[in-house]
Amino acid sequence: MMEKVISGNDAVALAVKLSRVKVTGIYPITPQTYIIESLSEMKDRGELETEIIRVESEHSAMAATFGAAAAGVRAYTATASQGLLYMHEMVWWVAGSRIPVVMTVGTRAVGPPWNIWNEHTDFMSERDSGWIMAFASTPQEAMDLSIMAFRITEDERVFLPMMVGMDGFILSHTKTRVYVPSQEEVDSYLPPRRQPYVLDPEDPIAMGNMFSPEDYMKLRESIHRAQIASKEVIVEAGKEYMKRVVPIGSYSTLNESYKLEDADYAVVVMGAWSLDAMQAVDELRKEWLKVGVYRIRFVRPWAEEEVVKALKDKSVLVLDRSVSFGRGGQLYTEVKASLPDADIKGVITGLGGVSIGKNEMKAIIRKFVERPQGIEWFYPKEVGKIELRSPRYIK
Amino acid sequence: MSLGVRDILNKHKLMPGTSACPGCPENIAMRIISTALGENAVFVVVAGCSSVIQGMGPNSAYNYPILNVAFAAGPAAASGIAAAMRTKGKNVKAVVWAGDGGTADIGMASLSGAAERNEDILYICVDNEAYMNTGGQRSGSTPIGASTTTTPSGKRHNKKNIPFIMMAHRVPYVATASVGYPHDLMEKIKKAKEIRGFSYVQVLCPDPYGWMFEPSKTAEVAKLAVQTCYWPLFEYENGVLRISDECLHCLDKRTRKPIEEFLKIQGRFKHVDQQKIKELEEYVDEMWEKLRLMYKGNLKL
Ligand code: SF4
Repeated sequence: MMEKVISGNDAVALAVKLSRVKVTGIYPITPQTYIIESLSEMKDRGELETEIIRVESEHSAMAATFGAAAAGVRAYTATASQGLLYMHEMVWWVAGSRIPVVMTVGTRAVGPPWNIWNEHTDFMSERDSGWIMAFASTPQEAMDLSIMAFRITEDERVFLPMMVGMDGFILSHTKTRVYVPSQEEVDSYLPPRRQPYVLDPEDPIAMGNMFSPEDYMKLRESIHRAQIASKEVIVEAGKEYMKRVVPIGSYSTLNESYKLEDADYAVVVMGAWSLDAMQAVDELRKEWLKVGVYRIRFVRPWAEEEVVKALKDKSVLVLDRSVSFGRGGQLYTEVKASLPDADIKGVITGLGGVSIGKNEMKAIIRKFVERPQGIEWFYPKEVGKIELRSPRYIK
Repeated sequence: MSLGVRDILNKHKLMPGTSACPGCPENIAMRIISTALGENAVFVVVAGCSSVIQGMGPNSAYNYPILNVAFAAGPAAASGIAAAMRTKGKNVKAVVWAGDGGTADIGMASLSGAAERNEDILYICVDNEAYMNTGGQRSGSTPIGASTTTTPSGKRHNKKNIPFIMMAHRVPYVATASVGYPHDLMEKIKKAKEIRGFSYVQVLCPDPYGWMFEPSKTAEVAKLAVQTCYWPLFEYENGVLRISDECLHCLDKRTRKPIEEFLKIQGRFKHVDQQKIKELEEYVDEMWEKLRLMYKGNLKL
């Protein structure tokens, strides 16, 4: 293990290398581009054993990655925003085939209008696809979760693909201190590739042809059961990771609690701004406000038991960086479903790169504590009315 | 060793239990092609009739490892398989099996990308000139004048010439074939299998249901398409065009059979008027003029 000052994208690229990925289908999209550039540079320098397929679209990036994984090797890709939406069909195809694949989503707003900055809507739009879905809060965690992902997805209790979300620019481009494991450490952690079936002329099987309605439904149920079973696998993989690879982090649970034990109020967040929330909580505690943070690390599987245990008996505020239009924040609806009778409010903010830091967090939490109703969409700055038509100069 | 037609049909990897219609040209193509391909291949089957013809999972009538994929995913998925096989040190050909809809329309970008990268894959387009699996709607590969369920009074635009598009990619091997000429098809597949790099073979597959003819006449229609020069048989290898013997007569317009013979044996051209026939003939003439120039070495795509 060694310390390096690197960006989230660098950290993920190193994770791909250390996990001895054999094939990666790549297509550029901001803000993950730097991952695939970095892999290409490593390849050119002869440091990477991965075969890189430079495809012509994200749909093909996922298809190529899927083809390689179906043929029996560790396969990886990365995407964001429009790209994830463009590959949506193949994202489902991979999970439905129960083939382990790992993908990074450098999260970004979805158009129109064009917006390259961060939010979580792209990532959250894959909630029901069958993938395991983790979200990092630091470059360190982006790397750790990416390595763990291979172990989790290739466990026979799981055999599902996994995506790791990472806030675009905030994590993908910001450099910070990261503990990078050695090749030996990762080798000792990752067993050889395993998957339910392999394309092999010596044992010709057909994958994905027509199923009877009953068999199809059974397969859907098996994905659901595998998601639930994966909770145990994730915790095992996390503990083992802290033991063998990087001895820091808090991977013995799916999600993470911060100063929650004695708190009256809990703020639920996911991703990079969890750290802003923690700082805000530290300062608010000095003002005798008993508030803590609950950080969602896994959206799928949903850590029902952990969520209930951490949040019951508290006033809960869920901050969403994504929205289900006409319904509200997506994390909000998830948390509410786990605790239907609890006092839970949701705030949507930070969409499309709206900047939310420690001070904005403090303002939101204060408002919540003082006036529990009445805040749903939070803008840190004054915003005017949106003109849907371009304003024209009329005499 | 030369095989008789009966030998060809018996030495295949197509097992009983397919759910193809009687007279299905794709089944005929699979029998011939698998005989030529042999064992070391993985098939990527793109959405289309063949997704169904294999029969109900977990069984399969295609005795190959098969990856069924979404419409636009074939060439990319095969690229991934080829890469994986390379890293495993296995000599296995990744073969894409797609219809004309998957090729000319929705899969074009992915096909073009794989060709540009010169992926070591074999792409086979079984061209029945419409979306037959969904009930016979027009595709980019439907010829002008043909009636389909979405062009009931006849298609207004010409067939997209995919072999020409593929030749323009300058890939190592492009060929056309017809299920009416099994030996020719076999030879081409054998050659394509040995190519290191991208190869493309488009097989005309007359479809009794969409084209509206008796299921017993599939081979006859497939032959007529070639004899009337509607469908050319050629191969393009490293920039050199070879016209197959079966249609050398097409190089000269005077020795071609009239196209009407091909049109009147099917129901889909029943309502076609003289104007459309003329336009179809112009398309055929223009195609042959280009092929003639390439054949003489005076044109390179
Ligand atoms: S519609 Fe045509 S190609 Fe499809 S299965 Fe029937 S005969 Fe074969």
